[in-house]
Amino acid sequence: MDKLYSLTLRIHRYDPEQKKSWIQEYNVEVGGMLRFTDVLRKINQEQDPGLAWTSSCEHAQCGSCGVVVNGRPLLMCELLVQNAIKQFKTSSFTIKPLSIAQVLRDLIVDLPQAYKRIHKARPYIIKPADPSPEGDEHRISPHTMESYVEATRCINCFCCAEACISSHRHFLGPNAMMANIVRLFDPRETSKKERFDILYADDGVARCHTSEACSFVCPKEIDVAHFIALGKEARFS
Amino acid sequence: MARKLHLNPVLRCDALIIGAGGAGLRTAVEIIAGKPDAKIIAVTKVSSPQKSHTTTAQGGFAAVNPKDPIDKPVYHMFDTWKGSDCGSDQNVTKKIIESAWEQTLWLDNHGLHFTRNEEGRFSKRTFGGHTLEFGKGPSAFRAVFEADRTGKGIMDTVWGESLKGNVSFINQSIVTELIFKDERCIGAIIFEESRGEFTAVLAKATVISTGGLGQVYKITTNCRQNTGDGLAVVLREGLPVMDLEAVQFHPTGIVGPGILASEALRGEGGFLLNKDMERFMERYAPKMKDLAPRDMVSRSIETEIREGRGVINPNFNLPHVWLDIRHLSDYIHDVKLPEITGFFKKFAGIDPKKDLCPVRPTVHYQMGGIPTNEFGEAQKNADKIVPGLYAVGESASASFQGFNRLGTNSLLELFTMGKFVGERIAEYLQDADDLEDIPKDTGQKSFALFSRYFEAKGHENLWKIRETMRELMTEKVGVFRNEKLLDKAINQLMDFKERATHIKLSSPSLIMNQELVDRWELDNLLDVALVIAHGARNRKESRGAHTREDYPERKTEFNYHTLAYMQEYGKVTLGKRPIDMSIFEEKGKDYKRFDFLARKY
Repeated sequence: MDKLYSLTLRIHRYDPEQKKSWIQEYNVEVGGMLRFTDVLRKINQEQDPGLAWTSSCEHAQCGSCGVVVNGRPLLMCELLVQNAIKQFKTSSFTIKPLSIAQVLRDLIVDLPQAYKRIHKARPYIIKPADPSPEGDEHRISPHTMESYVEATRCINCFCCAEACISSHRHFLGPNAMMANIVRLFDPRETSKKERFDILYADDGVARCHTSEACSFVCPKEIDVAHFIALGKEARFS
Repeated sequence: MARKLHLNPVLRCDALIIGAGGAGLRTAVEIIAGKPDAKIIAVTKVSSPQKSHTTTAQGGFAAVNPKDPIDKPVYHMFDTWKGSDCGSDQNVTKKIIESAWEQTLWLDNHGLHFTRNEEGRFSKRTFGGHTLEFGKGPSAFRAVFEADRTGKGIMDTVWGESLKGNVSFINQSIVTELIFKDERCIGAIIFEESRGEFTAVLAKATVISTGGLGQVYKITTNCRQNTGDGLAVVLREGLPVMDLEAVQFHPTGIVGPGILASEALRGEGGFLLNKDMERFMERYAPKMKDLAPRDMVSRSIETEIREGRGVINPNFNLPHVWLDIRHLSDYIHDVKLPEITGFFKKFAGIDPKKDLCPVRPTVHYQMGGIPTNEFGEAQKNADKIVPGLYAVGESASASFQGFNRLGTNSLLELFTMGKFVGERIAEYLQDADDLEDIPKDTGQKSFALFSRYFEAKGHENLWKIRETMRELMTEKVGVFRNEKLLDKAINQLMDFKERATHIKLSSPSLIMNQELVDRWELDNLLDVALVIAHGARNRKESRGAHTREDYPERKTEFNYHTLAYMQEYGKVTLGKRPIDMSIFEEKGKDYKRFDFLARKY
């Protein structure tokens, strides 16, 4: 077994029945290769089965386990203990739920509520182009795709929205904007006008302050700010 | 701590989809295509359908263009039949493979970002067990893909189309009971976690698409939610599940978390090495080598490890072999497979361009599931369907996968079967009777179950039982099985179920009580684990992923699917369903390829 690390976790908790919030401290001894999701599971197993948190795939493909650790929004499943200690230069961690939606319990927030913003950006082809005349796939050059395919890797974990300095109340958010921008590039989408309406609405890209915090925190390392900038300039070719 | 549980006012819809992953939502979208005014409710355990396990599928979607000058649909049918160890149903195999190409075009027209070649057409890659000319030719370039996130592409596309089609979603919810009236399924009881409330949903058609059961095992590629819920719910209603003993171990899970390292890594030229740096697959499958089907590669790795040619990982104290992809080009590492090579960096702390990657078999997929016919109608036995109830995706078994699934055949199955089930339901809805009211005792089973959880007293630890069960299943009902181990497993599982009644929950709350859901999942896990063990014990042969050391050969007397019933824990009744041999029986060209044939690669 590799080296064990002693961690102190200060976790923000909330009980919806008592409507009570508090901070609870846990001390754990864990291996360096464990993910933070493994650490919380260990707390459930050994100390407190009632601590509520959420995850699903646990390898950064679904974006369910976003939280704020020592001020930084991230996915718990891809934060390894040894990397966390290196990155934050401490073995004490404060874990808070994301603030993009109401807290349901402890670290679980109402993601379905947050997702309504993505729905507003219409994450599908509104009006598809006619199928290819050859009767098979659309001909799209890999070079055309290169300009936007990176943005399609977004998993809507809302880390960018959490880090964004524009208020959640007035801006649909970087991830929602990116969902819209993908289809502005996509040659199979013909409803470009509706797309521009979303882009330049009151809660659209104009709300972005170009802090680039979104790119800085994105767990998928997508340069979100780059796509928002293209959106502002309407450069989609 | 007794709680008064009650039902919310009844919700009504045309179709209730339980599990909003790729299969469930493909079904929903097809229902809307056939009946645009259909009211559909889709229930998901996760916080958004986009978080479903479908999202994690990596490598590709097998589809032969009927106009392809080299590859042919019949080769794909043969590979699937042979790969399944002669355990897939040929009517289903033919139907799925013949509509595969048209479905990739559907995806392309609805916005999936398929990776393209220089001509702007779909790129294709090879996968294990996919060959040309009935295994005599080379590996077939048959899988279309979106880099190494094909599942995400499919999920995003059907989720988007469902939003467009006004499907109503109920997120963070589980289904605890099905509702029946005169043998017809008329809906289900759902428990909404965030509100802590039960609701009866009445539906003319109910679809179970709850995915897999990987969490039964200690090391798995499956997400946290894959606890066999749909199967357990069906079992409790006295309905059967099929072929649960056929559990797929993917050969290359990343040591530690078990995360999937796609077969695409070997498809693109990676290979396996043992402790002595020997390409050992050459010994086990001289022709297909590292691209032999998954069951064979997993057994080969386990054999290498057992015979002392494995390597021990110091961090997790787990034996493994190496996957070498150092020689692949930067383009493959950075553009074609960026997510997976990123996993090695992130979760194993190694650089696959320079280092060998530690991999070992990890539970990946269940070939079995709720038995259905080729239209996804759930069956009560080999001859009779349950009116109003459907199953699709990994939780169902039609059976396309038989006893071993080929890579890229799962996305193909969930997608095409989703379409067929949706078509069938749209037809059924045209003249299905309206539902009057819920039967009087609706919800009582769920209330009794949850009350027992809340009222239990004792000192048993939920997680300890869960983790011990996972270890037990891995050791005794794993890659290699034998009667002695299976008997032990069955005895221990009986004991676990009893111990579980002495778990005291720490909170009486119903709202977002994760421990309550964990407790319910534990019951589901134990139920499906026991059925897997019984199926494996009864099948005294080796077929596909089911390997009995005491019966190493495939046997003619087991040329059937296992049906297993278990309404009460421990009381397992087994039945049979014949394997459909229609391609063989129609005696068309090439029919002889579809007989029970020896399986060599």
